[in-house]
Parts: sequence; structure tokens; C-alpha cells
Amino acid sequence: MLPRCLILLGAAAYAFGQNQHQLDLDSFEKVWITVRDKHWQTKPGGLDWQAIHAEYRPKVEKSASPAEARSVIQEMLGRLGQSHFAIIPAAIYSVVDDEEGGPGITGIDLRILDGQAIVTGVDEGSPAEKQGVRPGWQILRAGGKELKTIIDPARSNPAIHELQLTRAVAARLTGPIGGTVDAAFLDASDKTIDLKVNLIQPRGTLSAFGNLPAQHVWFEAKKLGSTAYIRFNMFLDLPRVMAGFQQTVENCKPCDGLIVDLRGNPGGIGGMAMGMAGFLVDKPNQRLGTMYMRDTTLNFVVNPRPEVLAAPVAVLVDGLSASTSEIFAGGLKDLNRGRVFGTHTAAAALPSAFERLPNGDGFQYALANYISQGGQPLEGLGVTPDVEISLTRTALLDGHDSVIDAALGWIRRQKTP
Amino acid sequence: MKRRVLNFALAALLSGIAGAFAADPLPSAESILDRYVQVTGGKQAYAKRKAEIAHSTVEFASLGIKGSMTRYAAEPDKYYTSMDIEGLGKVEMGINGPVAWENSALLGPRVKTGIERAEAIREGTMNSTANWRKLYPKVENQGIELVDGEECYKVVMTPAEGQPMVGYYQKKSGLQVKLTSVASTQMGEIPVELIASEYKDFGGILEPSKVTQKTGPQEFSITLDSVEVNPAIPPGRFDLPPDVRKLLEKAPTQ
Repeated sequence: MLPRCLILLGAAAYAFGQNQHQLDLDSFEKVWITVRDKHWQTKPGGLDWQAIHAEYRPKVEKSASPAEARSVIQEMLGRLGQSHFAIIPAAIYSVVDDEEGGPGITGIDLRILDGQAIVTGVDEGSPAEKQGVRPGWQILRAGGKELKTIIDPARSNPAIHELQLTRAVAARLTGPIGGTVDAAFLDASDKTIDLKVNLIQPRGTLSAFGNLPAQHVWFEAKKLGSTAYIRFNMFLDLPRVMAGFQQTVENCKPCDGLIVDLRGNPGGIGGMAMGMAGFLVDKPNQRLGTMYMRDTTLNFVVNPRPEVLAAPVAVLVDGLSASTSEIFAGGLKDLNRGRVFGTHTAAAALPSAFERLPNGDGFQYALANYISQGGQPLEGLGVTPDVEISLTRTALLDGHDSVIDAALGWIRRQKTP
Repeated sequence: MKRRVLNFALAALLSGIAGAFAADPLPSAESILDRYVQVTGGKQAYAKRKAEIAHSTVEFASLGIKGSMTRYAAEPDKYYTSMDIEGLGKVEMGINGPVAWENSALLGPRVKTGIERAEAIREGTMNSTANWRKLYPKVENQGIELVDGEECYKVVMTPAEGQPMVGYYQKKSGLQVKLTSVASTQMGEIPVELIASEYKDFGGILEPSKVTQKTGPQEFSITLDSVEVNPAIPPGRFDLPPDVRKLLEKAPTQ
């Protein structure tokens, strides 16, 4: 499951005409029932959940303010002693949630590096590229808003993760297709550049999967010298993405290694991690990990394909690599089949979801527990790369992706006797 | 079960209303399964069926995913199913003699082994309803339970290899309306519950036109649209796919 994005949730969840105290009580009930019905343990966190209700409901009834009610609900969730159960104050949403933008994009990929929004990639042929935007440029302002006013308060709030913050900032560079967005950049010589950037259709093919909103999915494969390189934005559009992965691996027989770049990839269909690993893992009866639900335990098994790649595999990740990306990267790392490069992943490897509560607060909860093959849960912990290395503005301005460079260097060293 | 029958008989004697209880002793599991064969068409109807092609639609309603399924079967041990599921691509499964295999766009080809293989072969057997004696050496009627408010006999069918299946047969109609089991899959043992309904005549045999299946946390429905009886099966339909053959060559002991 894709982690829900805060910016997708509108203010419609606010109920009109109800008093705040009742909304807080309704919110308490929704949180308590959700944990009761959806937690993977019948006794959530080993607790008598009914007794928890009896203990905390009177406290919410007595609460004198929304903040006090929130504090009680948060305290109740804290009793679980588990990650990814959190109440996000409604006020935080106003920081990251206003003005969703639209489907149109500029072609700019960005990350928050050292508290600054930095362009990390520009799509070939995109309006941004045509207007001269380059990797390494800092984005100062977008859609009439100083990005610093979004980034600074969010960074100081532990409830907002890198994934959410980056999406919130990226949303400032979106709008209606055919429209424009005003943005200000700091270029390589630290000169401020003001641009009106055109907005175009998102990259990739629109792909639907069940009740998920249709998503634009792209897949790219190329050679970096004698190393094959794969990048795709989501584990969706299964037939096309799996076929692209297979073809790249088959074409890689004479190459010296494979890089699978999952930076920015929020996940998608969990099974695709197993399917892709089958092209890389030759040993039978291996698994990437195990998912524990209330009634069922599912092993994420790997079926070795008839032809399996023997060359070294590097997997690139960052704080925006979530869910299926973490299952894939963590599993290959645990099986000693892939070396992971980049920064710590999003630690959102479970079917966790965000919902808005009747009082406007946000509620994040996990539905299952996933343990990677190495014995470590990915939820809340994520994947720590074998080689921790981050993009830097300086390197980007010099035309270098330091994470790819590190992976290529490692692959080349594998050839050295 | 025997104690329960004995108690009924004793009560009947003591009360002097034997007639009221005489109709109630639990029938044997064998008679329930034979009755199911009878009410769905009879042995003759099954014996006439040498091959079939069944066309179904599949729906994962809560996920908003639909698909189609075509199942080919021929006596004695040939079976092939192809599912096309929106967004997930093709999933194929087959049995050819002792080889049970699967191939999907998601996970690729594989050869089933152990209990999973035994279960696949059993479930792929042509006319498995009529051939229950060959498939389940031990059957037992464990009493009466309500399914959707209807009294049903609960029959536990134990195969030579694998976990028992529990079938629920309506006392009134003799039709099977529910089946529970634990499936052995490569991802683990998963509880499965099937609810069968809307029996219809497909070429002389009554079959449930709707089956709702709960497999772990997932629920989906299969609607049987049509069955071609004794059709010409396309040549090579049951052949092992090239990728499955490659796997067998790679690890012939599978």
C-alpha cells in the first residue's frame, strides 16, 4: 500500500456545526476502534484494548481543550510502544497542506538538503530544462511562497517526516496543466533567478490499479559505461515495469553490474519486490522478509528465474524510498545480494495509512508488521544503507550524483581481483 | 459423532416417540458426499464429461480489481488455468502428470513441490466431485452447523497428503455451500473459506455460479459464466511453458 500523502487529504473532514468537545470524543473513538480492528495483533501491543478504552475515554471527556484531548489520545497510542501510531495536530496541516496545486509539473525533481530545497534532477525536454534550470540550484520561492516558511517549522517537528515535507514542497511547483508557476532560484553563482515555469503533463504513462487513483508511472533503463542502470518512480504498472526490469537484466549479461535506483520511489505493489528479486537471487527458498497480519503470516519469497543475473547489484535509496522500495532494498541487503547506497529510507514499509479525524487532526496507523530477512522490522526503522552517502549541492552543480558515483566505484572494484 | 447418535437413540426409546427421532440420526459422510454427486447431476453426468473449458470473471471488490479466468481440464490429470487481472497481468497455473506449476507476470515461473504440489494436483483432478473417494481416504460427518441460517452437515475430508478440507452440505438440498481449509502456499499456510451459491446447470452438472473466496485478508468472488463440455482442447494447451521446462532442467528433482 502506498503511504497516503498529507497533501491529498483536504479539509472536508472537518465537521460543521458540531462542538469541539464532541469532535474530540469522536476522534478518540475513531482512533481506538481503528487500532482495535486493524492492528495486526488481536491484543494490540499486548494490551487489553477494552481496558484502555475504559481508562482513556473519561480522560478525553474531562479534557478542557483540543490540545488536552490530543495529548490524551497520543498518550493512549504511546501505550502501544510501537512506531507509526501518531496524532498530527490539525495546525500542522495548515503548514504543509494548503494549496495542493494540480496535476501539471515543471519537470524538476527536488530534495531537502541541509534545510534547503535543492533541484536534484530536471527532466529532459521539460519546461524547466528549456528555461535553464539545472541540478544543484536552490529553490527559494514557489507559487508565491518562501519555501523556508514551510521547511523550517516542519523540520523542527518530529511528526513530519522527510517524505511528507519533500512532497509538500514539491506541491508548490505544481498547478493546472498548461498554466505556469512563479519560482525563484539561486543558481550556481548564487544569483537569484526568477522564472515563470510552464506546467506540463507528468512524466510517464497513466496507470490504474484497483481503487488507487491513477498514477503516472515511468521506467527508464540505460547504460552507465558498462553498468546497467534502472530507475522507475513507482512499483506500479506491473506488466510494463516488470517487463522493463526483465529486459534490462537480460541485456546485462555482458555488463559488470546493475544499479537499481529507488530514490524517491514510494513503493506500490509489494509483490513486485519479490518478482524483481527473482531475477537477481539464484538460490532457491530465499525470502526478502515476512509480513505479519492478524490472521495470516506471509513470506515474501523469491522465485529464482530461469536466468539469473550474477553481476554485482547496487540499490540506491533515500528518505523518499518507502514501502516496496524498502522491502526490496532491505531484503537484498539481508540476503547479501545487493549493496545499498544513499541515505536512510522512509521507514514506512508497512501498509500504514493517514486519515483525518473528526476534529481535524491527522492519524497515522500501521496495519501489519513486516520483518526483513535479517530479523529487523522495517517499519519505524527503515533500511540503513551499507554506504551512507548523500547528494550535495556542490556535487550536483559540478554535474555529479555522488550516490551513483559511489555505486559505480564499488561495482568497478568488484571486478578487480 | 457416535456418542451423539447413541444419545439420540436412547432418548427416542425412553420417550416412546421413536418415529420423531428416527429421521434425525446423522447420515454418514459417505452418503452426504454421494448425495452431493447425485443432486448435482449424478455419476452418469460426471462420467460423460471428459474435458471442459470454463469461463469465469473474478472480482476483488474491496480493491476495485477485476479479471477473467479460463480453466481447461481433461481426463485424467490435465489442467490449465489462465487469469488476466487488471493491473497485475497474467497468472497461469497448470498440472501435467506429476508436475504442478505456476507462472505469473508478478513472480515468474515456478514448480510446486511438497504439499502444495499434492493440493494442486488434487484440486486440478477432472470431476473431483464424483471422484472424492480417490482423493479423500478419510471422511467424517462431524454434525450439523448453520450456514446462512440453513442447517448443514459438516464433513471433514482428509486427503492422503495435506490438510483436511471441511465441506458444509445443506441438509435440505444436499448442495455444498461452504468449504474451509488451510492452503499450503509458498508464502505460507493461509486459511481459505469458500462460500458457494447460485447453483446452475452447466451442461448437465449443477455448479455454483458464484463462489466467494476469503484467502487470509483478501476476499474475491468468482462468477462462472459458461462451461464448454467435451470441447476440442487447443493442441499443446497442457504443455509445460518453456520457462517452467527450463526450471525443471535446472533442478530436475523439483
